[in-house]
Amino acid sequence: MTTLLIAAAKAPVIDYKGISPLFAVAGGAVIVLMAALIRGRFAQRVLVPFLTVGALGAAIGLSIWNWHTGDSRPIVEGALAIDPLALGLSLLFYITGLATVAFAWRSRALRESGTGEFFGLMLGSIAGMTILGSAENLITLFVGIELLSIPLYVMCASDVRRETSLESGLKYLVIGSVGSATLLYGLALIYGATGHTGFAEINNAIGNSVNLTDPLLLTGIALAAAGLAFKASVAPFHAWTPDVYEGAPTPVTAFMAVATKTAAFAVILRFFLEALVSAQEQWAPALAALAVITIIVGNVGAIAQNSLKRMLAWSGVAQAGYMLAGVVVGTQLGLQATAFYLAMYLFMNLAAFGVVIARERVSEHGDGLKSLEGLGSASPLLAWPMTIAMLSLAGFPATAGFIGKFYLISAAVDGNWAWLGVMIVVGSMLSLVYYLRVIAVMWMTPLKIELPGRPRRARREVQPVAGWSPEADPRAQPEVLLVTLIMAAATIFFGIVPSPLFHLAHDVGTSISALFS
Amino acid sequence: MTIYLSIILFLPGVAGMLALLVPRRLAGWTLVTGTLLTLAYTIVMLARFKIGGGMQFVTDDNWISELGIRYHLGVDGLNLFLVILTALLWVPASIAAALREWDRPRLFMMFMGLSETAVLGAFMAQDLALFVVFFDLMLVPFYFLVGMWGGEDRVYATTKLVIYTLAGSLLMLAAAVALGVMATPAGGHISFSLATLAQHPLSGGSQYWLFILFAVAFLVKAPAFPLHGWMPDAYREAPLPVILVFSAVVSKVGVYGFLRIVLPVLPQASVHFQELMLAIAVVSILYGSILAFSQDEARLVLGYSSVAQLGFIILGIFSLDPKGGQGAVMQMINHGLVTAPLFLIIGYLAIRAQGRDSLDWMGGMALRAPVLAGVFLIVALATLAMPGSANFVGELYILFGTFQSKIVYGIVASAGVVLAAVYMIRFYQRAMHNPVGPQVESRDLALGPELGVIAPLVLVILALGVYPNFLLHRINAFAPTANDRTEVSVIK
Amino acid sequence: MNVTWYLVLSAFIFAMGAAGVLTRRNPLVVLLCLELMLNAGNLALIAFSRMWGNADGQIFALVVMVVAACEVVVGLGIIVGIFRRRIPEDVDALSELRG
Repeated sequence: MTTLLIAAAKAPVIDYKGISPLFAVAGGAVIVLMAALIRGRFAQRVLVPFLTVGALGAAIGLSIWNWHTGDSRPIVEGALAIDPLALGLSLLFYITGLATVAFAWRSRALRESGTGEFFGLMLGSIAGMTILGSAENLITLFVGIELLSIPLYVMCASDVRRETSLESGLKYLVIGSVGSATLLYGLALIYGATGHTGFAEINNAIGNSVNLTDPLLLTGIALAAAGLAFKASVAPFHAWTPDVYEGAPTPVTAFMAVATKTAAFAVILRFFLEALVSAQEQWAPALAALAVITIIVGNVGAIAQNSLKRMLAWSGVAQAGYMLAGVVVGTQLGLQATAFYLAMYLFMNLAAFGVVIARERVSEHGDGLKSLEGLGSASPLLAWPMTIAMLSLAGFPATAGFIGKFYLISAAVDGNWAWLGVMIVVGSMLSLVYYLRVIAVMWMTPLKIELPGRPRRARREVQPVAGWSPEADPRAQPEVLLVTLIMAAATIFFGIVPSPLFHLAHDVGTSISALFS
Repeated sequence: MTIYLSIILFLPGVAGMLALLVPRRLAGWTLVTGTLLTLAYTIVMLARFKIGGGMQFVTDDNWISELGIRYHLGVDGLNLFLVILTALLWVPASIAAALREWDRPRLFMMFMGLSETAVLGAFMAQDLALFVVFFDLMLVPFYFLVGMWGGEDRVYATTKLVIYTLAGSLLMLAAAVALGVMATPAGGHISFSLATLAQHPLSGGSQYWLFILFAVAFLVKAPAFPLHGWMPDAYREAPLPVILVFSAVVSKVGVYGFLRIVLPVLPQASVHFQELMLAIAVVSILYGSILAFSQDEARLVLGYSSVAQLGFIILGIFSLDPKGGQGAVMQMINHGLVTAPLFLIIGYLAIRAQGRDSLDWMGGMALRAPVLAGVFLIVALATLAMPGSANFVGELYILFGTFQSKIVYGIVASAGVVLAAVYMIRFYQRAMHNPVGPQVESRDLALGPELGVIAPLVLVILALGVYPNFLLHRINAFAPTANDRTEVSVIK
Repeated sequence: MNVTWYLVLSAFIFAMGAAGVLTRRNPLVVLLCLELMLNAGNLALIAFSRMWGNADGQIFALVVMVVAACEVVVGLGIIVGIFRRRIPEDVDALSELRG
């Protein structure tokens, strides 16, 4: 009882500068909801998206303003702290949010659910991610993860007149809640074993007052890991991913695939490397096994897919496996490599999803692989970003994906997990089958056979393509095209000049000082 | 005048990019100009090359310092002629391409240019990670070149090609990263420089598994016997200019990797696995020769003959003898030089046989096309290593080296020389002398577009046959020397 | 008072909830079972809070209650949405036949 009184008397110290990005996003959510009450086309089509972009832009600016190297700085004492890891990953959330605004602008989900509601929920979810990234405490961790997930359940179901969208929302809700409940139970057991909810205190307690083989602690870690694995779609807790990704409106899928996964890894990194690093020898082999299963299951699962969204979902599972390998290593290098890969993952996936979105709106094949048929000659502006994204995901050099894999492998070898590095490579080999198929469909589908001696002029006509029509021109959706091109350009740029991102990754690596350098 | 290797490296790629911007009719000739300029520049480089001067024209800059990857290019006796060969053979390939009509020609020319840049990069890289980058990068243009402009089954062929080779090179990626990280002393900055890696050999155990990963990547590329599954499909489906450079140049990148990376960096493992590699080489020679004899498709005759010829090169390399190594390098050049005109000839034959390149459709052209027949004969004789050709010298060196170290393999491999004569003569005979094939149009080589392309190559073959020492002197400057070998045996 | 019994009970409730989520087909029942799982966590938290003599667990439990309520609201909303989607389906179909 006395502790309660003392706690009440001592109000937590709040660093308003440090918390400002969170205020920008959360406040933005409220403003966006309010602004959406204004009727009229202008408010709905222009003002609300503009305010959303403004909030995200402000958050990006404030995060950069707060950037500092070195150890974490508390912003709400004992609950939230910022460090380069938190700030760097929040930048990724905000960028994904910006891309999602562009992706969603013309989508049916936006019309169905209301602009303000959609963007308000998205900002709410991003606020949850921001909290998650800077959580220092089991309670804030849980609040963050729920604030992230609950708006997402609604966003998945936001295309309210399409049954698959509602189904995907409900499915995500049920599975996500199972994950949350498992996580919660795990957190409760960890609290029970150590008596603390703060990450630093837990880490101190483990190995000192708490035995490393304490069954309560180990069960807690296992359950928490399972709960987080649900969120990050790590096998064998990935089964929901393809269904939910396929059913959700594609802009939401893109948001989930990138931002949610990044957030899940943010918390995995922080939770395992900050709160549980003393028990690394206990959890590392288990996570390594999960990583291997995830790499294999994800890549094998992707091979048989004909829907691009499902394929990207499975590929996301596989990519989660690669990144998990970086967590397993448990060194600063591993942390840097994982953070770096997350950034690369954002670029290549958003480029791919941009193409899927642009195509599914005009093609009779929806998000099927066939919707890309002949894209190479019909609209190279979309075919090139997709090609770059696929090559990058497969890990070809001169793309961001190659550098990311290179970094992960070198971190793995450096931390004496060389065989995990080899597993990453084996996974990449499997992944060639389905990534290359996408490229083949775009560029190598049957063309008219050239007859020798045919006049030159005659070949200038546009090749007829399934579903091809003037409206299918990607320039009709400039905002999607723009984001896609930017992301593809970034994929190439950071594949050739990765140094700027390495500096950021290096800062991120210094966030958690408990790690071996 | 200083030689900048970066110019050699990027000139073709830039020309390819330019081809994307010019009008369609000019795309091909833009690329040809680019390749010609590259060739001219490499010849200047050859003139400036100092015999026995070690690594020359070095460019060494930081690229990605955080990962220890340096942009480190250099030329020495080992890769000098391979660079020139690359620059040389892309010229006829791009001329042949420019003379043909393509669907989407600008894209084709761009990929041709990019592929030359990637191959040159792989040959000139002196940093293991940079080598891996170019080695993998090479596949991207070839994936598109085969997949977009190939024959009926092109998608299947190109997917198989890329999956086979990239599977190998991804393993190599893991091995290269592991090598770099493990060779770095604790606390030191990671380095992939080949020279540094060669100075700090790893302990035996890790050398062995790294060797296997590297060897798989290089053997797939060659291709050598058990890993050649992609070869028939790719050779059958690829457009002619593409398969020309692929067979003549790209297949050398793998075996070059053995000499540049595996032998210096993993010496102990090289000795350990010597017998295995020799066995693979010998089996490749016999298997390739026998299958080359039984093929009806002209391209596959050359495909399987490549398997055999590259078997010879691997044999020379893993004789771990200076003479053998020198012969291997020489044979890489020779094989490239004879393969390119042979593919051109197949193209000419196919034009005369109603577009079919099956041997059944050819025949009886010699009488009415004497120049074509003459050129073909010269190249065929060079391929089967007739005394007086540079190939003869190369194979002699290889066998000589093998006899010195492992006599049994040498004896078996000698049979390969005989078999080569058999399949090449059969190829020549069926195309030129047999009864006239159905619908064969025996017209001789057109002076400009046909003879003009092939004649310079034939002249180079003849010149090297007369004066092989031109090659030998310069190659001499770099081959595993007797010194290296004793070092190797000391470690053993 | 020994904390073990509370733990046993909470584990039992958690297992019951998990089993329900896996086996039940009715979405409402599944939501109920989710509540069971979350509340099992709450029970454990409160028991541990008592054992350690600090308030962290109780605060945690309060937060979880709020979260659980949110989840149920969203879940029910989606379920209602699905049911509503089923009823006017015919009306929609009719509207497509016009003109």
